Amino acid sequence: MAEEKKGRAVATQTAARIPKFVRGNLSATLKAKEEEKKVAKAFIADGQDEIMRAMDIVPAWGESFSGVCAAKRDAEKYLQKAESDNFSRSLCTYATCHIGFEMIREEQGGAMPEGAPWGGMGRPDMILGNGQLLCDPRFKWPQALQHYLKDVPVFITNMYYPPWDPNTDHHEQEKFYVKYCTEELRETVKFCEKVTGKKMDWDRLAAVVELSDKTWDLFVDTYDLRKAIPTPMDTGDAMNTMVPLTFNLGTQEAYDFYVELNSELKQKIAGGIGVADPEKYRLIWAAGLPSWFALNDFQYFNSKGAVFPVEVTYRGCEKIERLDLPKTNDPLEHIAWRWVRYWTHWYDAARKRHGSTPKVERIIEYIEDYKCDGAVFHSAFSCRSWHAGIINQADVLRKVYKDIPILIMEGDIVDISSYNEADTHNRIDAFIETLEAYKGKQKK
Amino acid sequence: MGDIRYYAGVDIGSTMTKVVIVSDRIETALIGPTGPEHRKLANKVMEDALSQANLKFEELSYVVATGYGRINVPFADRQITEITCHAKGLHSILPTVKTIIDIGGQDSKGIRIKDGKVINFVMNDKCAAGTGRFLEVVADSLGVALEKLGEVSLHASRATPISSTCTVFAEHEVVNQLANGEPVANLVAGVHESIATRVYSLVRKLQIEKDIAVTGGGAKNIGLVKALGAKFGSPVLVPPEPLITGALGAALLGKEKCEKAILDGYSPTRSKEGLREAKLFL
Repeated sequence: MAEEKKGRAVATQTAARIPKFVRGNLSATLKAKEEEKKVAKAFIADGQDEIMRAMDIVPAWGESFSGVCAAKRDAEKYLQKAESDNFSRSLCTYATCHIGFEMIREEQGGAMPEGAPWGGMGRPDMILGNGQLLCDPRFKWPQALQHYLKDVPVFITNMYYPPWDPNTDHHEQEKFYVKYCTEELRETVKFCEKVTGKKMDWDRLAAVVELSDKTWDLFVDTYDLRKAIPTPMDTGDAMNTMVPLTFNLGTQEAYDFYVELNSELKQKIAGGIGVADPEKYRLIWAAGLPSWFALNDFQYFNSKGAVFPVEVTYRGCEKIERLDLPKTNDPLEHIAWRWVRYWTHWYDAARKRHGSTPKVERIIEYIEDYKCDGAVFHSAFSCRSWHAGIINQADVLRKVYKDIPILIMEGDIVDISSYNEADTHNRIDAFIETLEAYKGKQKK
Repeated sequence: MGDIRYYAGVDIGSTMTKVVIVSDRIETALIGPTGPEHRKLANKVMEDALSQANLKFEELSYVVATGYGRINVPFADRQITEITCHAKGLHSILPTVKTIIDIGGQDSKGIRIKDGKVINFVMNDKCAAGTGRFLEVVADSLGVALEKLGEVSLHASRATPISSTCTVFAEHEVVNQLANGEPVANLVAGVHESIATRVYSLVRKLQIEKDIAVTGGGAKNIGLVKALGAKFGSPVLVPPEPLITGALGAALLGKEKCEKAILDGYSPTRSKEGLREAKLFL
C-alpha cells in the first residue's frame, strides 16, 4: 500500500504543471490503441525521441513509470515481484520496478495491475533498447522484458561516443562515431517502419529535430537565469522541470513549457524572489539521480538557507551553437552529431587541466558560472553505471580545482528500503555546518 | 564562582549520554546510559554532572546538545551535529590529528579536519557491521563481557577470518566457528579485523591524512584499536576519554559562540526551557 506522504511544495508555478505532463505521457500510452498508434517501451536520452515523435509512436518511458511509483512510495510491490523471479535488489530499480509491473500484468492476462499509479502505463507494441555508452540495463532490461512480453519485438541499438582518453584527440575519432550512431538510428527507423507499417516522413522528422534544437537552446537559456542571486529556482524544482526536455523532446508542448518557465523566472528575478530567504549557501547537485521518494530533502536544504541553482543531472542538453555542429541535410546525422558532441564537448577543457576529467570539468564550469559554495553528490546503489565513479569525481574535483565542501549522499532512485530520513537530515545538518566553517575560514 | 563562565555540552548517543562542563578547563565529564527508558532523561545526567561540578544549572552560560538525540534536549540552547562537535573536541585534546574515526554504538564515521574545522566526513548509518553494535552481538554470542573483548583478543594466535559482512550472518559464522573448536580469542581478533576492514573502506573515501585518532566506544577496545592501526598502516591515537569528545566539542563550541557574542556586543539566545526531561514519550 502506498505510504502517506506530505506533498512537496514547488518554488515555481510552472513546475506545478509537471504532474499533468507526466500523467499525460502515461495516459497517452493507454489511449494509443484507440487512436491506432503504436506504443514503444523506450529509454530517455538516447537520440531516439525524435524518430518516435515523427512517426506518431507513443513512448512508454519505463524510467518515468518507476520514478512515479517511487515518488508515490508505491514501488515495493513491483520490486518484490521482480525479486520473486530472481532479479536481485542490487540491479537497476528503474528496471526491476517496471519489470515487476509487467510481470503482474502478464499474469493477469494483460489486465492493468490494481492500483497502478496514475492509471498505469500501456502495454508496449515494441521495445526500443539503447545501450548508450554506460548504462547496461538499457539492453539487459529489454532482454529481460522479452521473457514476459514474448510477442513484443525488441530492437536494441547503441549510441556510442568517443570514450575519454586524456592522451587522445577525440576529434579525430568523431566522424567514425557519428557514422556509427547515424546507422544505428537508420536501423531504428527501419524497425519502427516495420512495426508501424508506416514510412518515415523525413520532412516531418527534420521539423521535429529543428524544434528539439530550439528547445535545447531555450532550456539552457532558461536554466542560466538561475545564476541570479538569489536563485529563483533550485534543483528540487529542476527534478520536475526536466520532464518536458527529457520525456517530451520534439514536441511543441515541451518548447512552450520552457517559454513559460523562462518568463516566470525573469519575473522572480525582477522581484528579487529567491528559493531560500535568506540564501546563505549555493550548491551544485554535482552527480546522481535523486531519490524520487525523498524529493522533500531539497526543501530541507532550503530550510537551512541552502539552494541548488544548478545540477548536472537531467541537464541533458547544451546550446547548439556551442556544439558547433557540422551542417547536414540528414536529420539522423544531425542527431548523431548532436549526440556525440554533447557528450564530448567538455573533453577539450579537461585535457587542458592536468588530472581532470570531462565530468569534473563540467562541474567546475557550473561551480564558477553559478557561484557555488559546495557540491552534493548522490550515490544511488542500484544504478551502477551512472553512479560508479562518484567518489573519484569528488576526489578529482578537490585535487584539480580547489578545496570545496562536498557531501556524498547514499540511497537509491526507487528502493526506499535504503533510505532513512533522520540520518539523511543529520548528514545535511553536518554538511551545512561544514559550509559555515568554510565561509568562516574565507572571511579570516 | 566570581566571573568564571561555564558551558555545557550534552552528547546523546545511541547507547550513552555524555555531559561535559567547561570553563577555561574541563570542570567535569559524566557518562550515563541512553537506554530506551533513559532517552528522555538527559536532564538527569546533566543534574549529576552539575552536582559533581558543584554548580547550579543557572550558572551555565550556554548549553549545546549533540549526538543523534540532540533535537530532544529541551534545556539546550543550540544543537550541533556530532560531526562538528567531535572535530572540535578532539582537536582541543590532540591538535595534530587530521583524520578521526568514530566508532559509536550504532554507526561509524570518518571525519577529516583542518585547523579544528571539518573539511569532509563520511558516515556508515545503514549497516551494523563496523559499529559497536557488531561488538555487542559478538560479545553476547561468545559469552564474553563487552569490555573484555579487547583484552581477550590480545591472546589470539591468529585472527580467524570472518567472511560475512552482515552482522546477523557474521554472528552465525562466529557461532559455527566456535562449534568447530576455533578459540574464542582468535574469533574476537577476527571480528576486530572485520570491523577494521569495514571502517577502513569507509574512511579511505576521505583521503586519509595522519595523525589518525579513534573516538567512541570502539576506542575503548584495545584489540580493535590495534586492528585499526594495522589496517590504516599507522598508529591510531586514542584520547584519554574517547567517549566524551563530542560533548567536549559541544561545550567548547558553546563557549566560542558566547565569547564571540560578547565581543560583538550581544547576548546569545537561550532556551526558555528549564532543566526538565524531554517530552518524547508523553
